[in-house]
Amino acid sequence: MARFIFRRLARTFLAIWALASAVFLLSRHDLDTALRLSLPDATSQTGSSPALLPQGQQAALQALRQRFGLDLPVFYVSHEPASPAGMQSWHWHGLHNQYHQWLRALAHGDLGTSFRTGEGVAARLRHALAFTLPLTGTAAVLAVLIALALAQRLATSWWWQRPVRVVLVVVHGLPLFVVALVLLLVFANPDVLDWLPAYGFGQLDETSTSPGQHLADVFLHLILPVLALVITALPELTLQLTAALQQELGTAYATTARAKGLSEAAVVRHHALRNALLPTLAQIAEFLPALVAGAVVVEVVFALPGMGRLLAEASAARDYPVLIGGVLLTGAVRLLALLLADLSYFWADPRIRWQS
Amino acid sequence: MAVLTSFRPTWPQRLALGWLGLLVLVAAAVPLLPLPYPPGTPDLAHMTVPPFSATRHWLGTDPQGRDVLSILVYGTRTAVLLTLPAALLAALVGGLAGAAAGFWGNTARAPLSYWLMGAGSVWWGLQLPIPTLGMGLILIGAILAVSATSRSRPLPTCPLPVNALVMGTATALDTIPRLIVVVAVVASIGLSVPGLLAVLVLTTWPPMARLVRAQMLRVRHLPFVEAARAAGLSEGQVWFRHALPHALHPLRTALPLSIAGLLGLESTLSFLGIGLPPEVASWGRLLATVRSEPSAWWVLLFPSLLLTMSILSLNTLSRLLNPRT
Repeated sequence: MARFIFRRLARTFLAIWALASAVFLLSRHDLDTALRLSLPDATSQTGSSPALLPQGQQAALQALRQRFGLDLPVFYVSHEPASPAGMQSWHWHGLHNQYHQWLRALAHGDLGTSFRTGEGVAARLRHALAFTLPLTGTAAVLAVLIALALAQRLATSWWWQRPVRVVLVVVHGLPLFVVALVLLLVFANPDVLDWLPAYGFGQLDETSTSPGQHLADVFLHLILPVLALVITALPELTLQLTAALQQELGTAYATTARAKGLSEAAVVRHHALRNALLPTLAQIAEFLPALVAGAVVVEVVFALPGMGRLLAEASAARDYPVLIGGVLLTGAVRLLALLLADLSYFWADPRIRWQS
Repeated sequence: MAVLTSFRPTWPQRLALGWLGLLVLVAAAVPLLPLPYPPGTPDLAHMTVPPFSATRHWLGTDPQGRDVLSILVYGTRTAVLLTLPAALLAALVGGLAGAAAGFWGNTARAPLSYWLMGAGSVWWGLQLPIPTLGMGLILIGAILAVSATSRSRPLPTCPLPVNALVMGTATALDTIPRLIVVVAVVASIGLSVPGLLAVLVLTTWPPMARLVRAQMLRVRHLPFVEAARAAGLSEGQVWFRHALPHALHPLRTALPLSIAGLLGLESTLSFLGIGLPPEVASWGRLLATVRSEPSAWWVLLFPSLLLTMSILSLNTLSRLLNPRT
């Protein structure tokens, strides 16, 4: 068991390293745009070529390149013209290159510096996570709990199973941003139902007076995003778990339990549920990193200052250190989810325990 | 063919098929349709006009004065032309890679001559120092191959870990949620339709490869594969002519689902403003405009209706093609 978990984690770790390296190397391809976008008066200049820029801006670009170490060669080797004659050949740059520096900093836990704000990427990610973790964590816990409750009812009762299934299948077809937009436009719209606040989460730090009021405000701002995430995550979990439960209820041990005189609900709770849970555990492991991705959409729609919006804005502004930090962080969540899933298999299924 | 003859769709399935056919038809016939307004040009006299009003904007205009109907129609073309090729290419790549990984596992052995030729062409293609060395390697490989076939004596072989290669690449690509990968890669290579297509294919093939590989692991032990081997066919022929058609079965169900996923992904990207260039009409971008004008319900309703109906139809279609039901 331990060896199996270790091998899986090692493979996932390698995959994340490969992906982050690929994004790193790809991003070095088009650095001029990124740097020009990060200059203060970038908006007026993005379209023009470097030759047309005023002297001052060229100097600023050069200074930025030096500050971020971008004047170094990108990789250990490069393929470029050796002489003005145009003969292409390979160069060995040694360890003094951007990729090596990045890897070494990463090994020391340093994710680099944002091109745009000059802050450390780790600090920005930490700020964003402090917001996103409560959001996605609440959504994940709620979705799993509701799915558990709903699937148990759906698997046993017959008359309302069909309509609920139809609703779940339809909701399953809705993209997350449509759900979020509809929620936003129905429940936070002065023209329809002005129940909940729509925007303006960022300003409340200064305006709030007491901690209690602050907490209530955070709660009000989080209702709709959490609801959107739960609504989109629920159908898949519920439908899968219901199908698994129904299959388990047809087995011989469920019949035995019924023959003992147990009620259907007790059969589900004490006998079938644990066996039906295994595929759902795997699904939850898929689902934790996906919640980070879901946060991208939800946070953009509701204008919340979290991970997702940080990544979306970094992508639009070509702020590569932040983007790569996001990829690495999502990968870390993935590793954690895999570990948790394997441990919970171990808990849920004694056969796996005996084999190891 | 037996599957096609026992094709008895129910009414919802007929509706789904009809809807999808209509979408493809509209996408194909866009230049011929008599649209009153082109999609990209703003009509500054009629901004945010509700639908079915006196003007000729039948479905209204968005907050920038662009005609909603033409954006929807041209957005249909964008959606079909982007997701259909992406899904088909991903099915091709994933099918071939997964089938190869499942059939040969890590035990495939390529003769030495092929290795020499491969190494030589890589050496030559990368223009490593002394390009004649690469040419020499290719030449030696070719001579070895010719001499081996003429004297019909097998060459020594080296193992080729197909399974590890394919599954490793697939793991690297689908460890992290697709949206994050696409967002990161699209930012690195810039906005363009071919670039987006490549990224979509790259992130869509791994699940398909896994499905086909799992099926191939079952198929390669079936008697007919053994019979084909016993008949003296080469391994490549057994793989391509006999095992592959059976291993591709799961893709019938997976293809509509992956198109649905791509449709959702494409509109999400356009909605976030990072997928396609802004001048390309798309449902997601139209949906995004509702945030600047929350009272314009028609900008939200029509594209999300189209999107939802298409995704539901694709889900229905995949259930129709599922052999088990």
